[in-house]
Amino acid sequence: MNEKDGNLLEVKDLRTYFETDDGMVKAVDGISFQLKRGETLGIVGESGSGKSVTNLSIIRLIPDPPGKIVSGEVIFNGQDLLLLTNEAIRKVRGRRIAMIFQDPMTSLNPFMKISKQLMEMTQLHLGHSRAQAQAHAIKMLETVGIPDARARADNYPHEFSGGMRQRVMIAMALSCEPELLIADEPTTALDVTIQAQILELIKTLKKETGTSVILITHDLGVVAGMTDHLIVMYAGKIFEQGKTSELFALPGNPYTKGLLRSVPDPTAEQGKLYQIPGLPPDVAHLKPGCPFAPRCEKVQEICHREFPPFVQLNADHYSLCHFAREVYAESGGGRAS
Amino acid sequence: MSAVESKTDRAPLISIRDLKVHFDLGGGGVLDKLLGGKPEKRVVKAVDGVSLDIYHRETLGLVGESGCGKSTLGRAILRLTEPTSGQVIYRDRDLAHLSERQLREERRHLQIIFQDPYASLNPRMTIGQIVGEPLETFRLARGREAEERVQELLETVGLSKRFIKRYPHEFSGGQRQRIGIARALAVDPDFIVADEPISALDVSIQAQIMNLLEKLRREKHLTYLFISHDLRAIRHVSDRVAVMYLGRLVEIADAKTIYHEPLMPYTKALISAVPVPDPQIEATRQRIVLEGDVPSPINPPSGCPFHTRCPYAIDVCKEVVPQLVQIKPSHFAACIRISPSQPNIEDVAPGDAPGLESGVGQVR
Repeated sequence: MNEKDGNLLEVKDLRTYFETDDGMVKAVDGISFQLKRGETLGIVGESGSGKSVTNLSIIRLIPDPPGKIVSGEVIFNGQDLLLLTNEAIRKVRGRRIAMIFQDPMTSLNPFMKISKQLMEMTQLHLGHSRAQAQAHAIKMLETVGIPDARARADNYPHEFSGGMRQRVMIAMALSCEPELLIADEPTTALDVTIQAQILELIKTLKKETGTSVILITHDLGVVAGMTDHLIVMYAGKIFEQGKTSELFALPGNPYTKGLLRSVPDPTAEQGKLYQIPGLPPDVAHLKPGCPFAPRCEKVQEICHREFPPFVQLNADHYSLCHFAREVYAESGGGRAS
Repeated sequence: MSAVESKTDRAPLISIRDLKVHFDLGGGGVLDKLLGGKPEKRVVKAVDGVSLDIYHRETLGLVGESGCGKSTLGRAILRLTEPTSGQVIYRDRDLAHLSERQLREERRHLQIIFQDPYASLNPRMTIGQIVGEPLETFRLARGREAEERVQELLETVGLSKRFIKRYPHEFSGGQRQRIGIARALAVDPDFIVADEPISALDVSIQAQIMNLLEKLRREKHLTYLFISHDLRAIRHVSDRVAVMYLGRLVEIADAKTIYHEPLMPYTKALISAVPVPDPQIEATRQRIVLEGDVPSPINPPSGCPFHTRCPYAIDVCKEVVPQLVQIKPSHFAACIRISPSQPNIEDVAPGDAPGLESGVGQVR
């Protein structure tokens, strides 16, 4: 057990590649991070940055072929999940690590009553009897705020609204009291008022159960209010990681900085919006050097030539950039040292 | 004159009057009655009596949650969806009542950009054909001249003119959206409905498209109806903002006012729900979390459509349909619990409905 350092999850040098007609896509290429018990980690990035593949790799749901976890370790509670048999990993999934996805309609079985889908979980993982499972299912639906849970349990997924379906998904994910909840864009398909409800719900449940959470999203606003630590991904790499508060206040990477500036701040006067030029890279054909170099406003000759170092800026603040310290200093960081 | 017309310092480019779009879902027919089907006629009132002026060279933001009717309203203005009743006045002509042929002439001046850049471009046509098609349809240019015009359009939207022979699948989402914009610009329109133009795009690309639309508006003197559920984007691009809920406009004001001094409880909740990309603000912020879902537009609540979720609702709200009236200069809201003399709902005595006396509501 890894109880000493308080790490529930430790990912070391994870690499997940996909074989495509277009060449080898290094969707996740050598990323490492830790998650402490009871903490929430945010992973932000644009499409194709590797944020979802990272999490599918953790629970070993990468379709193989074409995908393959080519190297790395995923230490969960002292145990490397990548070394487990298929049988053993199945006992971890849903029981100790649960996931909720962006689209609750496609993650629920349309032909099964909600209650049945919830009962399956605890009957399988906790050995509940029918009656126990049913009582537990109703209790879980009440916990996530489904009104009139006893009656609604016998409805089918299509009879619920998008927000209610996401609540059902959360009820299902939490029904075996997992140690880790991975939420992949859980509110992206929802309206803002419903998003606010679901985020509040995740926050409250997290406080009550002590579950650790990995929250994957493209929305910097969502991670700002929800997470303790943050990882910014680009082209399959971690570009910056650190405490959420520090990362927002003192970004040490030009990509993070650009991303933060390109979100309109509704509380300020509206000037011209900063824009990162160009397009995200084609991960199948990365050139040597920094993958962000063609879009970077701080780019120098070295950036096109050499892959950047992962620079430590502060206790647990790292940035992948040749000029990490300069960028960090510009943001106002590192003045004390 | 209704209240929404009172801003007379500028002439409106488009005036919408009591526009309704109702979709018939069937039911209520003889067979339904005989065979025990749906005995009642079921109608979705997607747009239910919207009056709105869109001024020359402004960006009017239209915001609301899914199912509120914002896209239907945008489409009904261009008659891509047939309005059930009401008027859309453009250059002294009522678009809602033009014949097909007359409408086609006017359409040249009225264009639309769609949300999904993947679904809105014909995959079998080259970029040159896609952007050039409107030129041909309206006989604006042909041959060499058309080709030059297409190249010019591609450069205007920030694409290389070398792309002319390529197909849509070769482009990313952001680039496809630029192609869609180039196509809309081909006919030199006055007015563009931008229906969720950035929702399907990555954050860094959203900023690019917003800046491009703003640049084009300035250079080409365009007027936009910018439809989005994203309040941060709406606040950024719009001069004025209209908030829609269940087929009706519930508040209109300039963008800054809507964000900083909203009057309607719904608008307040909507703004409060938007996460701010700043951990310090988020840590201390008290959020108004609305209970429940948006009610179904098939069977909307009586009276004020928002009363089922409104923290300020009183019994009268279930009966009276609030009308959109001017509460402050150029600031319109539809709520019987406020009035020009008592604009702040927090200060109104519990149970009072000052709007009723000043004729804000009407009993349905």
